[in-house]
Amino acid sequence: MGKILIVDDTLFMRTLLKNILFSGGHTIAGEAGDGEEAVAKYKELKPDLVTMDVVMPKMNGIEALKGIKALDPNARVVMCTAVGQEQMVKLAIKTGAKGYIVKPFQAPKVLEEVKNVLAS
Amino acid sequence: MKEVPAKIEHNKTWVVIKLGVGEDRIVLPAPVNKEILFKNVVDVAEKKNILIVTAKTDVEVSYKILSVDKVLQILKKLILASCNAYRLMAYFMSPAIKGGVMIKDAQWEKGSVVVVHSGIWFVSAAKQVCVPVSDVAAIELTKREVQGKATDVVRIDHLESGELTSSLVLCPLSTLQVLFNFLTETTKGMDMKGTELDGVGQQVAMLIYSGMDSHAIENMLNIPHKQLDGIYDNILKLGLAEIVTIRREVQLTTKGVRYISDATKSQN
Repeated sequence: MGKILIVDDTLFMRTLLKNILFSGGHTIAGEAGDGEEAVAKYKELKPDLVTMDVVMPKMNGIEALKGIKALDPNARVVMCTAVGQEQMVKLAIKTGAKGYIVKPFQAPKVLEEVKNVLAS
Repeated sequence: MKEVPAKIEHNKTWVVIKLGVGEDRIVLPAPVNKEILFKNVVDVAEKKNILIVTAKTDVEVSYKILSVDKVLQILKKLILASCNAYRLMAYFMSPAIKGGVMIKDAQWEKGSVVVVHSGIWFVSAAKQVCVPVSDVAAIELTKREVQGKATDVVRIDHLESGELTSSLVLCPLSTLQVLFNFLTETTKGMDMKGTELDGVGQQVAMLIYSGMDSHAIENMLNIPHKQLDGIYDNILKLGLAEIVTIRREVQLTTKGVRYISDATKSQN
């Protein structure tokens, strides 16, 4: 079980992920609504894993991923993408993301990916 | 003509037959006594290991054929190569993405895409995969990286065991455009126009997809049971969901209250 930082610009998606992760026994370290806040919260909270939305205001998920990786090269970041954003997934994996989940979320898939990444 | 063992549904019972398989036809012996020319076949569907072949001469007649995988594979290949359908040679990848996860060992296969009444078939030397038209969620002409180059493909999103699955078709752009138009026309019964949900309705639909039950949805969206019931009614009316379970809310009668009071006493 891990301490997780949820990054998404919509409250609904953050709440949904929070519910799914909580049901899987994880702890929510905190939430961020954009990329800049994500990097700051990562520095402050040092979570075991980050779920990172791709499209966000101020700083997008890929830039935030770079920022987090600069702080901690071993950071475990799982990208949250929409269906059809496979190119974005490839870019994120190249940039250092450990995994990805696709919106709309299915709870078992989310928990499985989080478990795999936490075990890596 | 070769003969293969099969069962065929005849007068609502399964009958064992020796199915005759030729280059351009199959022969169903007694008690069915029919010869089906592949060029007359207008639809091919598959449910588990039952192949449903619909042929049209004067009227449309469907035949249900049950057999082992190997036999069905031969039948599908032969029929789909010559049946009365929209057919084009293409590269395809099916499935390419399943439940949002890219299939790691998915590869482009050389073969054909055959569109019949009830489904879209991906046919190669090794496999025949059918996507029922009723399971198609979206069709999009899009780009995909192929050998390092952004290339035009048609993406077909469909449901498979409740999971959103994507298949890709690759061929020259002009052919892709024709395929895209044809598929859009074939699946227009699935058109989502007029299927409107308001903001909360969309959120509820998304939560259902995420696997949440009514109680969790009410809590998460902070909406009363009656409002959720209303949203469910709308979603059901639009054909976006189906009822799986009907739960009941009850309250204890006087007799019930007395029962639990007694039960509590006996536990103390």
